[in-house]
Amino acid sequence: MTSRSRKAPLVSTDPTTPDPTTPDPITVAPITVALPKGRLQGETLDHFAAAGLPVPGDFGRRLVVTSPDGSLRYLLAKPADVPTYVEYGAADLGVCGLDVLRESGREVYEPLLLPYGYCRLALAGHVDRPDYPLRWENQPRVATKYPRLAAAFFRERGVNAEIIELSGSVELGPLVGLAELIVDLVDTGHTLRANGLAELRVIMQSQAVLIANRASFRLRSQQIQAILSRLAAALPLDQPANTQ
Amino acid sequence: MADSRLPAPIPGGVADHFWTDAALRESLRARLLHSFHQWGYSDVLPPAFEYAETFDSRANPVLREELYRFVDRDGSLLALRADMTIPVARLVATRLHDAPMPQRFCYAGSIYRYGDTRAGQQREFWQAGVELIGEAAPAADAEILVLALAALRDAGIGQAGIDNAGVGHAGIGDIRLAVGHLGFFDALMAELSLSASGKDALFEAVDGRSDGALHKFLQGTNLTAEQRAVVAALPSLSGTDYDEILDRAQSLCLSDAMRTAIDAMRAILAHVSFYGDDGARSLYVDLSEIHNLGYYTGLTFEALTVGLGYPIASGGRYDSLIGTFGSGQPAVGLAINLDRILYLQQAAAPRSASGPLPAHVLVGGEADAAFHSAVAALRAALPELRVAADLAHRLDLSDFTAFAARVMPWLALWFDGECFVLSEGSQFQAQSGRLTISEVIELARTHMTSHAQRTAMTPEADGSR
Repeated sequence: MTSRSRKAPLVSTDPTTPDPTTPDPITVAPITVALPKGRLQGETLDHFAAAGLPVPGDFGRRLVVTSPDGSLRYLLAKPADVPTYVEYGAADLGVCGLDVLRESGREVYEPLLLPYGYCRLALAGHVDRPDYPLRWENQPRVATKYPRLAAAFFRERGVNAEIIELSGSVELGPLVGLAELIVDLVDTGHTLRANGLAELRVIMQSQAVLIANRASFRLRSQQIQAILSRLAAALPLDQPANTQ
Repeated sequence: MADSRLPAPIPGGVADHFWTDAALRESLRARLLHSFHQWGYSDVLPPAFEYAETFDSRANPVLREELYRFVDRDGSLLALRADMTIPVARLVATRLHDAPMPQRFCYAGSIYRYGDTRAGQQREFWQAGVELIGEAAPAADAEILVLALAALRDAGIGQAGIDNAGVGHAGIGDIRLAVGHLGFFDALMAELSLSASGKDALFEAVDGRSDGALHKFLQGTNLTAEQRAVVAALPSLSGTDYDEILDRAQSLCLSDAMRTAIDAMRAILAHVSFYGDDGARSLYVDLSEIHNLGYYTGLTFEALTVGLGYPIASGGRYDSLIGTFGSGQPAVGLAINLDRILYLQQAAAPRSASGPLPAHVLVGGEADAAFHSAVAALRAALPELRVAADLAHRLDLSDFTAFAARVMPWLALWFDGECFVLSEGSQFQAQSGRLTISEVIELARTHMTSHAQRTAMTPEADGSR
């Protein structure tokens, strides 16, 4: 974890670090933030920068980058892995979509919703599929990247769906007869329409969320609360204010 | 591999512990039990399985789902021990109810939960803990909090001085005790008279410290301005400045029951401070901590430390649990997760490869009466010494040099009167002449003493860790 060599430059470069003669292991190390590679990465860094938090200019090929002042350490992870890094405490904070967080079932705190990454997790099927209550289904075959959420959605309706887990291009399922339904993220709906599919139900609304490790949140509360209040202050006005 | 047989598999979520791992585990277990004994706790060894009903009606829904259930030969439904507190409560309520109170019990053993293996917890995991039964005073809650801290320190977590010197245990940081009180939240819930779904929504928002979910809950629920103020403030009722937090919580109280919980917290924290600064410095008050194994009624806490993303110990007060078995008693307890402490110890001081617990002295020779009486004399003279007998007469110096240098601080071979000593990773050196038993005892004593002195100076150099 916190090695001596990583602490040393931090003490001299970060003006907010307490008196270097009494290094407190709880507060000297940088706060580690797990960033999702891809779609949410740019917007997250923009939002952090707008909140006045130090962000790295460029990751290059590196997966871990410490901010110039040493107060924040960013790691780049696959989006679905962000909740895992945070639950284990390998990262103190992380940013991911609510959809990914719920699918992961990881036990983390989720102190702040962030104003981007809006989309919805939806159930879709053939355009010409007649609309009837889903509880009339016997055992539909459902292709998805979200097996837990999809299964739970049907279970709540008393239906045991046959969940077919795919890792991408889920729209293919109904086209080639693999599945009659899909559960997938929908943003504009263009992809669905282009493939002869239509949205049947919204399963959940998703957006980016800041998550926190349950131990770090309380062990390093001062640093984390400082970051939270900056991020909350940078939210647009129609967002719920951070209550802290 | 010449042998193509598959290794005999074991089910997911359990592990074989052997060699160094097992030795570390047993020594940690002994150390924690010793700490508990020092505070006047007596051992209790609950059975490994009980009637499932014993757990079913007392655990929370998650724990109930995680029970390993099976059918006894007479058809009754049994469950593996999924918790230590419930069996101890059963024992006290049904058999020890008329013994003098308070009763102090400590234990260390395996717990079985059929859950998803998650952060730092397998399906069989090890807990060491205590139950303090028959004492309702805040001083009892404080004893448990301070004992948790003391036992964790005895186990090498967050020892003051070691971190600050930056030596050795850089990964084992200081301890923080996150302390909450279920009375506050339960009394608030009682005031709000929410629907079942409203209760769930509020619980999830507070448990996840989610401002978004809390905002949504407030928008969708009809509450008075006063009620809204408490709910909205819940996530902010946490931090190290606990006087300020409890003052603020007091000003938000809607009922006497809520005020009682805050008063109880104050009394407990005041008692913790009587033990000295260490306890008070470790405290982090968190009134939004509402986790409940199913039987907690008042104080709850989790011990946290840098280097681990989940608690290393937890506990709380359970004043109603014992009464569900018959005669009621107030009680409070703690449980330390051994697996997590072992993980921290390993992360802090990466050790050499695991191996069997090595002997200090290996005695070879014709295994006759004289041989065994020499071995026995050696064992009797130095009780700390580990003496192994080379029964099969296989002793070969070259085999041992490489092995012993890796795992042993020192090793003596005594073979047909000839004695060789390996020390500090160098080659075996023959001692001059044939040694008598008393000379070998003296030699072993010298090596043990000098090794103990070196170990005292540099703790991490201890070859047995």
